[in-house]
Amino acid sequence: MPSLRDLQLQFAAALAEPASPRCAVTPGDDRLAIYRVNARANYRNALAATHPVVKRLTGEPFFNAAVDEFVAAHPPVSGDLNIYGGHLAGFLEHYAPAAKLPYLPDVARLEWAIDDANRATDVPRVPDAVLAALSIVAPERMPNVLLVLDVSCRLVASEFPILRIWRANQPDRSGAERVELDEGGILLLVRRDADGVALESLSAGEHAWLAALARGSTLGAAIGAALAAESAFDLGAALRAHIAAGTVAAVVDR
Amino acid sequence: MSRSPSLPAAAAVGLRAPHVREVLATRPALPWFEVHSENYFADGGPALAALVRIRAEYPLSLHGVGMSLGSTDPLDRDHVGKLKRLIARVEPAQVSEHLCWSGVGGRSFNDLLPLPYTEEALDHVCARIARVQDLLGREIAVENVSAYVAFPDAAMTEAQFVARVARRTGCKLLLDVNNVHVNASNHGFDADDYIAAIPCDAVTEYHLAGFDAKGAQLIDTHGAPVAPEVWALFMRTVARIGPRPTLIEWDTDIPAFAVLEAEARTAQRILETAHAVAA
Repeated sequence: MPSLRDLQLQFAAALAEPASPRCAVTPGDDRLAIYRVNARANYRNALAATHPVVKRLTGEPFFNAAVDEFVAAHPPVSGDLNIYGGHLAGFLEHYAPAAKLPYLPDVARLEWAIDDANRATDVPRVPDAVLAALSIVAPERMPNVLLVLDVSCRLVASEFPILRIWRANQPDRSGAERVELDEGGILLLVRRDADGVALESLSAGEHAWLAALARGSTLGAAIGAALAAESAFDLGAALRAHIAAGTVAAVVDR
Repeated sequence: MSRSPSLPAAAAVGLRAPHVREVLATRPALPWFEVHSENYFADGGPALAALVRIRAEYPLSLHGVGMSLGSTDPLDRDHVGKLKRLIARVEPAQVSEHLCWSGVGGRSFNDLLPLPYTEEALDHVCARIARVQDLLGREIAVENVSAYVAFPDAAMTEAQFVARVARRTGCKLLLDVNNVHVNASNHGFDADDYIAAIPCDAVTEYHLAGFDAKGAQLIDTHGAPVAPEVWALFMRTVARIGPRPTLIEWDTDIPAFAVLEAEARTAQRILETAHAVAA
């Protein structure tokens, strides 16, 4: 009689790889197929729930096959299926059957960003406190301060019009709408506000500025990144808008 | 938030995402709700906010599907920590997990995998339950699972294993009557013998769900109405053990909420009549 440990490892190997050595169960290890089918359905359902637009764009057979391959390539490590799927976008980039849908990985990235933002910690928005904190920073210190973004903020950049693709494939839309892939890319801020997740289109300067702040760059370095991306970047307007909306959640001056 | 009132010994339905909005809008006359713990592990967001609103109006039970109590991998302390934070947040009346394992060697299968009914597995899972109860600072209930295979060299029956877990750890039992029927059919034992081996005072909840028949195999899909044979077994279970909080579970091909409410009404009638017959 193998130890519990060996028995579980043997069972797991047989589940993951049907060709692996036999697993001593009754009435026979062919019954493990029931577990394989259940697990496959669980993963397909879980990833369809977080990536409904990817599923709609590709259709159920394609989506299911892609999920099966994804699970084999990125086996889940947590018992919490809600946090499984963040690597789907990266997987789709190299998934040969999806090569004709070059926008698909970015759509997956956007859907995961939305799901992830929905799961972010609740933090009260305090725009007045942020403005007050900024107003007492000495002018010569200003380039050195850090602006902390709200924990729900995610930035998604794509060379494809993924926001239009995403909107055209919501459940209440027919899907008949035409989106021209060459109409241009988009830079998006995904964040949660009082009404749920908000998607906001950014200018190149705003995106570079927020991306730098998100990486922990100082305000001075972030302004440099923004101006490099967009010479007309308007810091005052960006600060006002993103403090009022709650994107910038805190000021750190040290 | 003060601790949830205890679950009444009445029939309720498991609350799943597609019905949350409707439940918040209509406040159905149900005695309590149960949700899957992991779906509320985030520290914020709309799902958790909705659960807090539901908890303000109904007694609540948290039912975990991913703790992997029986695994020989180290206990996932992060997972336990998230459950503990959720417990602090919603103060549920009951917390339950499955008497199974879900992964090993760092790989999760996100499924309820069967344990062998050996002394070694009993020692192992009892120690893990005790550890989880210590970390959470409260008692949990554990649920018997459906199994499509069994392991040779069992030292005891499944029912004996379940009963010994409860006696040794002091944990409570969530008796899934459908799973007893599915396993009795798949593994050829008498479901009533199983029920007779369960310590009545440890049972704090019943689960009911539908199965699919695939040839001679019964598959616990949670995707169909409760079968007539399971209603009958439930009636005999209530007559022997007594009425307990009872949950209708439906997780695949989830129907309209009214369908679940109708199933709960049937369970409620059985809770009342079987108890009267036994009394």
